Amino acid sequence: MSNIKIKSKNLDVFYGDKQALFDVNLDLNEKEVTALIGPSGCGKSTFIRCINRMNDVIDICKVTGNIEMDGMDINDKSLDVVALREKVGMVFQKPNPFPKSIYDNISYGPKIHGKGETKSELDEIVENSLRKSALWEEVKDRLDEPGTSLSGGQQQRLCIARAISVNPEVILMDEPCSALDPIATAKIEELIDELKKTYTIVIVTHSMAQAVRVSQKTGFFHLGKLIEVGKTEKIFKNPDNKMTQDYITGRFG
Amino acid sequence: MTKEERLKKRHQAEKRFRFYGLTSIFVALLFVVILVQNIFSKGSSAFKKTVITTEIFFDQELLEIQNGASEEDIMEADFYDLMIENLIKAYPAKDRDEEDELLRLFSGDAEIEIKKAFLKDNNLIGKTITLDLTASDDIDQLHKGNYPRDLPEERRRISDFQLVIYDYFVENKKISKNFNNYFFNNGDSRDPELAGIGGALVGSFYSILICLLLAFPVAVLASIYLEEFAPKNKITDFIEININNLAAVPSIVYGLLALQILLATIQLPRSTPLVAGITLALMTLPRIIIPCRASLKAVPPSIREGALAVGASKFQSVFHHVVPLALPGTLSGTIIGLAQALGETAPLILIGMVAFVVDIPSSPVDPSSSLPVQVYLWSESAERGFVEKTSATIMMLLTFLIVMNFVAVYLRQKFEKRWN
Repeated sequence: MSNIKIKSKNLDVFYGDKQALFDVNLDLNEKEVTALIGPSGCGKSTFIRCINRMNDVIDICKVTGNIEMDGMDINDKSLDVVALREKVGMVFQKPNPFPKSIYDNISYGPKIHGKGETKSELDEIVENSLRKSALWEEVKDRLDEPGTSLSGGQQQRLCIARAISVNPEVILMDEPCSALDPIATAKIEELIDELKKTYTIVIVTHSMAQAVRVSQKTGFFHLGKLIEVGKTEKIFKNPDNKMTQDYITGRFG
Repeated sequence: MTKEERLKKRHQAEKRFRFYGLTSIFVALLFVVILVQNIFSKGSSAFKKTVITTEIFFDQELLEIQNGASEEDIMEADFYDLMIENLIKAYPAKDRDEEDELLRLFSGDAEIEIKKAFLKDNNLIGKTITLDLTASDDIDQLHKGNYPRDLPEERRRISDFQLVIYDYFVENKKISKNFNNYFFNNGDSRDPELAGIGGALVGSFYSILICLLLAFPVAVLASIYLEEFAPKNKITDFIEININNLAAVPSIVYGLLALQILLATIQLPRSTPLVAGITLALMTLPRIIIPCRASLKAVPPSIREGALAVGASKFQSVFHHVVPLALPGTLSGTIIGLAQALGETAPLILIGMVAFVVDIPSSPVDPSSSLPVQVYLWSESAERGFVEKTSATIMMLLTFLIVMNFVAVYLRQKFEKRWN
């Protein structure tokens, strides 16, 4: 069994009066892909946004309980979110490259964190990030073109490259393939398989098949509660909970 | 009602709507055409002035200065007698009264024009040159065809004798139309042929510059703070409502405010571009903040999240990503706001810019006029010459407004980046 990278204990999240997460206890293993599945609005995205404190952006959002990464309390008010997000990268549902060149998209993160002081160091980071996200061969000759000129799938890989450019420990993916066609999806899934050797990955997905293909561990959320969590094989072949069974066989959701 | 009838009705409704729309556009265009045509037909003649070609002999006895005199000496020298002696030779007048009538065909600046010729070349003593001297307003209007000469003499400003001289000038090709440099270079004047918008142009320029320098940074920073950093609570809601209300406050109210605070309390000099600029800045501020905030709001949240997710601080995500994307909208909003300020008249009248100012202001604390106020002033004058001047000033004002609007559109299109 691999090490636990992130541990959430009794995590509750509120949007104003509405409670979005109820008492979530979930452990994420290091260098493994954890898939979060569940019907829309069940709190999967809310959960992963707790890991890099993206919920801070929403004024009315309140998080109680405990999330630890390597024993460090993420919810600690004195924690510097900038440093946290350097360690926990994120890829969003819709590709959101900056309207800048491909090069600037990747080099922005390292620049603001003071990584890559010289041009050649930055060049190296850009190349490595693009290679790791399997985009290098496609874009190496047009790094100064705008990132938004790429196709949807390429844009999403660009966003993955942007996330790994700051060398994070964890990558959060919020339905990264929902806006992509099957071929682009296959490429991203291949990439996730490759990336898990280096990074701890959490992926929110609506596709059961995708969860089976890419993840080692799966958590099923329903109405803000973590219903069941376990090895992906077990969850999809032989779930303990009736609701999980119903959801993965498509009886509701 | 059958299915066919209902379908027909629906199509008819659409056709009717298209017809209403087209009619409205046509009516609107018609009004624009009438307005522009009216202004152009009245104003275009103001860009030309009538000049009388006159021979001037620089007589040593009348001038009391030498060839090669210094600039100061020339400025102090009296050219009046020289002017009289030369001008009365333009037409063989019989007596003193006729000479007076002849002299009144020239503008009040004839002496200065002769002096300027001498300033350019101070070796003219004893020589004769031909000069194009500006004609008086009456002759100017007569020559441009704006003056009815078939009225009985007692209802005309030009006497029968003057008409005879005019016809003599026309016959001998001594009268012609030149480019009206006075219109652009001179300040206001009681004489229409000498009045120009030079002072108003400079005054408007200083006012708008001060307005820009004050309003732009404050408006942009206020918008960024309100849109990106301020907590959303009752206080910020209240501020937002008030900014929207202030944008709709009649501009004359800002004039009253400036009158009380800037002139009465702080005692800034009245009639100056400085006060005008501050007043216009107050007025323009909410009008810039609103489009600024709109363009900040139009930047998709995904860009902010993308920046935050790679570990940018709030400040970095705003200034590295959001502000550059909002900049084209911000700039065009600012230019439109300034264009409105440029055409604003009411508050400037209250702070005394309506004063009659002849001198062209050399700094923002000199008394001055401004373009829209100049229009207002001249539109009240009785002389025919001011009618064309008024329209010509409106043309200049409209030109500036159109240019500013084009710049705004250009900036928006050139720098607007696409995002998905």
